[in-house]
Amino acid sequence: MKLEEIAETDLLAEEKVFSVSEFLDFINEILLPKEAIVQGEIGEKVDKRERYTTFNLIDKKDKSVLKCFIWNDRLETLGALLEGGLEVKVFGNPKIFKSQYGSEFEFEVKEIWLLGEGALKQAFEALKRKLQKEGLFDERFKKPIPKFCQKIGLITSRYGKGAKPDFEKHLGNFGFKVFFFDARVEGIFAISDLVFAIRWFNENMPDLDVLVLIRGGGDWESLQAFNSEEVARAIFASKIPVICGVGHESDLTIADLVADKRASTPTDAAKILTKNWEKAQEEIKKIERNLNFYFKTQAKNAKRELLALKENLTKKISNEISEKIEKIGNYFQGINFAYKRFIEKFKIQEENLKINFQKIKVILEENKKGFKRLYFALEKNISFWKAKAKKRIFEEERKLLLSSPKFRLRQGYTITLNKEGKVIKRAKDLKISEEIITKFFKGQAISRVKKIENKNGQ
Amino acid sequence: MGSKDFNFSEAYREIEEINEWFTKEDIDLEEALKKYERAMELIQKCKKRLEEAENKFEEIKKKYSK
Repeated sequence: MKLEEIAETDLLAEEKVFSVSEFLDFINEILLPKEAIVQGEIGEKVDKRERYTTFNLIDKKDKSVLKCFIWNDRLETLGALLEGGLEVKVFGNPKIFKSQYGSEFEFEVKEIWLLGEGALKQAFEALKRKLQKEGLFDERFKKPIPKFCQKIGLITSRYGKGAKPDFEKHLGNFGFKVFFFDARVEGIFAISDLVFAIRWFNENMPDLDVLVLIRGGGDWESLQAFNSEEVARAIFASKIPVICGVGHESDLTIADLVADKRASTPTDAAKILTKNWEKAQEEIKKIERNLNFYFKTQAKNAKRELLALKENLTKKISNEISEKIEKIGNYFQGINFAYKRFIEKFKIQEENLKINFQKIKVILEENKKGFKRLYFALEKNISFWKAKAKKRIFEEERKLLLSSPKFRLRQGYTITLNKEGKVIKRAKDLKISEEIITKFFKGQAISRVKKIENKNGQ
Repeated sequence: MGSKDFNFSEAYREIEEINEWFTKEDIDLEEALKKYERAMELIQKCKKRLEEAENKFEEIKKKYSK
């Protein structure tokens, strides 16, 4: 059927009924001949399979996308790698790709012309440089994510295929309070939705622990809101720390760079929040075990020490008691010994006393005998002694007689006395004409001194 | 004690501090006992908080419209 004929055919009037496959084939018949050249930018995601490669061609003005398909053998003839961001002209035809999973409209590329650096990529790089220069990505501005977040502000699309369920699924059960703000994450209204949501949470729920900004994987083009300056500045201005998890791990957006913490995916964002809770769950058990173990050990040690102490004490006390008993024993022994010595001494003294008595007795006996002998001797010799004494007395008497003055006077000697009766022994004791008395054996004469001669015979 | 008034972060930090304290060599036993009791109290609370933990979801109805 020629195209002109199709255009002229009123299918409804004919009540023509197609099967799905027939209808798709019918449409393709119309589309395939519509060969054209289209200019646009190659999207970031270039999906190279075994036999074919798919990519998006993006309109620079309204960001509309044309899904492109090219056989790899055709691609290889290009002599250059297909890169996101490149601006190209492609030649080919539109078609419907029949599939059990949802048939799609696509553009089968037959030729590609490279046209220099991609506008989006350029814009991205330019904005990145600008914000970097301003310091929006600086570590020093990054707010720490609380270790244990409890109140979470979640910003994403209710309709996203993966992001929200993925995030919630991996959030575990740690008593999070999730406040969900539905925002478009793609398309022309995405930027204003995201900015509004970030500001709304900061104004109305400033006590949130964290804001989570997520979007599922998609083409580079579909992430453009996250590469916008407005969203970047809203994230930077947020007083609540922001975790940003956009697309797949390889998708790095401006929002990721500004955010306080970058999550590679929505699932990763959830894991960042649960990580510390999970760890704490384990740690708490571990610490509890540690402390209990410590105290069990302590108690055991204390018990052991006490027992040892008790044993030591018992030993010490029993030693002390033994020592004391020994000392007391020694003491008693000492006393005993002293007592014995005392008794012994006493005995010796008693003995001595006895001996002395004996001696005295003997002495007395002996003396008595001596006296008796003396007495007898005395009695025996008394007459001898009497005679001896008489003779002695007579001799003494005679001696005495011979020396008496009278005896001398008798022999013719005289004694001269002065008036006072003093015996004159020297002539010089006399004075001229002094009266002197001269005693004779019989009578006396009184005379006067005529002359004194001191020397004998003169 | 309601889990609402209970600050998990602070309790956990204190538990960690006590645990750290126990790694010291010179430990006064009396002090240790006090710290042990405190840690056990906090651990029970933290465990309770972890057990009770059902996530709650709430949607912000305020909608931005252009």
